[in-house]
Amino acid sequence: MSHDEIFKKVQGVLVDALGVDDDEVTPTARLTTDLHAESIDFLDIVFRVEKAFGFKIGQGELFPDNINDPKYVTDGVVNAAGLALLKEKMPHVDFTAFSADPKLEKVSEVFTVDSLVKFVESKLKAGAPA
Amino acid sequence: MHFRLVDQILECGPDRAVTLKNVTLAEEYLQDHFPGFHVLPGVFMLEALVQSARLVLEARDRAKGDGAPRRMVLGGVRALRYGNFVRPGEGLRSEVIVDKETDDGSVVFRGSATVLRHSQIATAASAGSAISSTDTAVSGRFTMRLVRTLQF
Amino acid sequence: MRWLWIDAILSHEPNVRLVAIKNVSLAEDHLHQHFPEGDDGPSQPMMPASLMLEGMAQTAGILVGSVRQFKEKVILAKVTEAIFESDVFPGQSIRYDAKIDRIDDMGASTIGTISRFDHRGGGWIDIGRTEIIFSHVDQNRAGLDLPEHNFVFGENFRAILGGLLPKT
Repeated sequence: MSHDEIFKKVQGVLVDALGVDDDEVTPTARLTTDLHAESIDFLDIVFRVEKAFGFKIGQGELFPDNINDPKYVTDGVVNAAGLALLKEKMPHVDFTAFSADPKLEKVSEVFTVDSLVKFVESKLKAGAPA
Repeated sequence: MHFRLVDQILECGPDRAVTLKNVTLAEEYLQDHFPGFHVLPGVFMLEALVQSARLVLEARDRAKGDGAPRRMVLGGVRALRYGNFVRPGEGLRSEVIVDKETDDGSVVFRGSATVLRHSQIATAASAGSAISSTDTAVSGRFTMRLVRTLQF
Repeated sequence: MRWLWIDAILSHEPNVRLVAIKNVSLAEDHLHQHFPEGDDGPSQPMMPASLMLEGMAQTAGILVGSVRQFKEKVILAKVTEAIFESDVFPGQSIRYDAKIDRIDDMGASTIGTISRFDHRGGGWIDIGRTEIIFSHVDQNRAGLDLPEHNFVFGENFRAILGGLLPKT
């Protein structure tokens, strides 16, 4: 599947799940800030991506599980260990902007449409089982 | 129960309305929703948005001035997300805004509602005022359409 | 008003599908305000769509809850889409046909069809559809002060659920 085909399918998933229009779903659009996704929407998106592409997504694989652990978070700020863990678990996400102000409450803002597309591409390349 | 989910109209115009619904244990259905954990049913949050939208539609019809107001009902819902619970003693503050009108005369609204809570401790400053929160109870889009009956 | 928006279960395929019905009757108080005589027309009692959504949510919620023997608290979290094409009047019956689309530890997504029956003829006619997502609350609401017991599937459901409930 080409990058464009994957993007179109991901676009369709987000339009269906979030009730937004096609033209709002641009590669750099952030799921929470720009497309108004809330926590329950993340579950809906996981279900729909699984269906659209035919592979299983494990818990915490696409979006982070509760990283609110004193090992990784100090006073609401994600520390170096936490940041390293996030980068390792989610290679499909660009943490550059988040690293500048790593507040735990802002972690969901890292997800762009592009990070979702990258995730799908890597799953398909790895020949993930359905 | 009386099927009225709007207790006060805070603002109302042809494009937008803000309303209040109080939640009280006097509402008997709360005993079933749920036993031992009384919360306003999510569909009643939706109905509060719908009844608020009806106020906007009435204002719209009045502004247009063409004939009797139309009876409109809920025709569809899109991406409606539930958040915080609303309990007895708390209130629901609903806001509905017209998004667009479609060719068949249906009207699409964006709606959201937040939870209103009274302060636990009444101080001189807060006495008599409900402290509103930004805690969202529900948000999403819905469509109001004309009633459709089937002829026999 | 009792908060039970289905009257009986017609069929149940565990973990897959649940079909329930609700009768609509003038004996229901709230129909007399929806709608009374007013500027917008004469008295016209009809089933509010929000309560049809609840009927489907209860049908789908029971289907989802039964997958884990009603041990999980299953809460309405999102209505991705609902369409109500046509309206329902006293004397008619509503059928809620719910299927599980996906389910995991965090929650479940369901799809449903709403149909209407009128004794005067026509059989069951499809009048709507729903996509509803439920949250498995205990997994999702860490920090929220919830009672231990499963308040979602309480006594009021027992009359309907009958054989579906695990023997206690």
